[in-house]
Amino acid sequence: MTSSVKNEPENNWFKQIYNHFIDGANKLTLAIEDITNIFITSKYNPFYYHGALPQFYLWVLFISGLLLFAYYIPTIDNAYLSNKLVNAWTSVDYITNTLPFGGVVRGIHRYAGDAMVLFIFLHAIRVWFTDRYRQYRWIQWVTGVILLLMVLFIGQTGYYLVWDERSLLLTRMTVSALDALPLIGGPLKTWFLNGDTITNLTLSNFLFIHIGLSFALLFVLWLHYVRMTRPVLTPPPAVNFILVGAILLIVFLIPISSGTMANLNSQPNAYDIDWFFLFNYWLMAHMPMNVFWISMTAAAVIATILPWFVKTISAPVIPAEVVIDKCTGCSLCYRDCPYQAIEMVPAPAGSRFKLLATVNIPRCSSCGICVGACAFDAIDLPQLPDASVLTEIKSFAGAK
Amino acid sequence: MAEKKTVITLVCERAADLNDLLDSQGNITDMSDVHVVKFPCSGMIQPLMIEAALKAGASGVIVCGCQIGDCYYREGNKMIKERLLGERPPGLKKTVDRRRVIALWLSRMQKQRFISEAKEFVYRMQALDIAEAAVPKTEPTKAAPPSP
Repeated sequence: MTSSVKNEPENNWFKQIYNHFIDGANKLTLAIEDITNIFITSKYNPFYYHGALPQFYLWVLFISGLLLFAYYIPTIDNAYLSNKLVNAWTSVDYITNTLPFGGVVRGIHRYAGDAMVLFIFLHAIRVWFTDRYRQYRWIQWVTGVILLLMVLFIGQTGYYLVWDERSLLLTRMTVSALDALPLIGGPLKTWFLNGDTITNLTLSNFLFIHIGLSFALLFVLWLHYVRMTRPVLTPPPAVNFILVGAILLIVFLIPISSGTMANLNSQPNAYDIDWFFLFNYWLMAHMPMNVFWISMTAAAVIATILPWFVKTISAPVIPAEVVIDKCTGCSLCYRDCPYQAIEMVPAPAGSRFKLLATVNIPRCSSCGICVGACAFDAIDLPQLPDASVLTEIKSFAGAK
Repeated sequence: MAEKKTVITLVCERAADLNDLLDSQGNITDMSDVHVVKFPCSGMIQPLMIEAALKAGASGVIVCGCQIGDCYYREGNKMIKERLLGERPPGLKKTVDRRRVIALWLSRMQKQRFISEAKEFVYRMQALDIAEAAVPKTEPTKAAPPSP
């Protein structure tokens, strides 16, 4: 895939500038992490759990969301249930102001969502700066972009659910944005509103999207982790306590409140922006709709193809090779491979052993960890055979 | 006086950046008795290589990978760390003199730290060589281990 990289002349000015930038960014990232290590040791360094941080907040969101779900009523008007008006807004109001600690749970749900988006961005920036998203890792990057888009959309549906004036405005803006799309715009609008206008069914659809997509996240997360052996899913407990503590602190410092209840006959036109989730509504309000859609699509496409667009820095991957007559089928390399690139298959007929290690070439990163795991010299990097390493070591160790 | 022996450094090319310290032979320019072998990842280092180096007459072996927790290939430095500690097969043989092996976990930016640690290690190995040269070779078990 990238085998021609090394032969290209280094006269491409864009490539040079980009390489220079990434090299500096890499140094900066590592320097920041070294400084962090001085204070809290590498075991608790949150930079080393950059992928686990959003994952942890996902669990926080699931649990707090479950508690909110128990009291939330996804309608815009359910007056017949009692004398009082019972709808999404009043149920959120009940959760926030009447239920013991309801406001805290709601605050946790809101701010954990913000924190998740923030940490997803930090995670993406770190893997970009440290060049850990290309070649054998493309599937993690592409699923990561999909996950980010899903998380942003789920977060936005969360803002519709509150059903205050902002929710109404956001819903209307979304409808006009969908309407502007050619061909699929109409059906998407009908799907979004669960009908042609905003009705009780609209809010139940929002709730379904909000919760259903959240569970769909788990499926995409599985794809995100599928080629990684022992993915780091949880930060150490001490870091978790700090993460929850930080959220609680913000909840108490800046309590959540709703705006006034949405009134379908009103025309709200101004609202506070949550920059983590609602930045695209700001863009929508400040540019023509077609420019908005084109720029959004372009941003998503560029982010997705970044691993192929950037064919720089590191050398092409030359996969490890198994020495068939030396392999004993002990599966140490299979266990240690960080990318699940080694598969144990039945050994060919006539072999003394039951299993044989094989390399799944597209997954191989050429890191040599399998070589370090092999006590039988049975797996090798073609560009750096361990026999030649041993010869070099022996000749220099013997030299006086 | 014992003869000056080599210290072999097995280093991940993404860990402490030693490129501008090396001469064409792979020795560190102002520490000519330290030879550097670079690997794509410290996880590629076999305990066997450490044994071979010491057996061939190296005075000591420095293993250098990235900061634990950070590895370009996710787990390489953790693997070699566990192998050195005997927590993951294949491990280092029990006969290997543990005083002659040191592991450093240094990021790309920590070249100076590497130099100071390597200098101290070389100094310690020279002291060890002198101390061991003073003990008669015929004695298989050490009555009094020389202080490192």
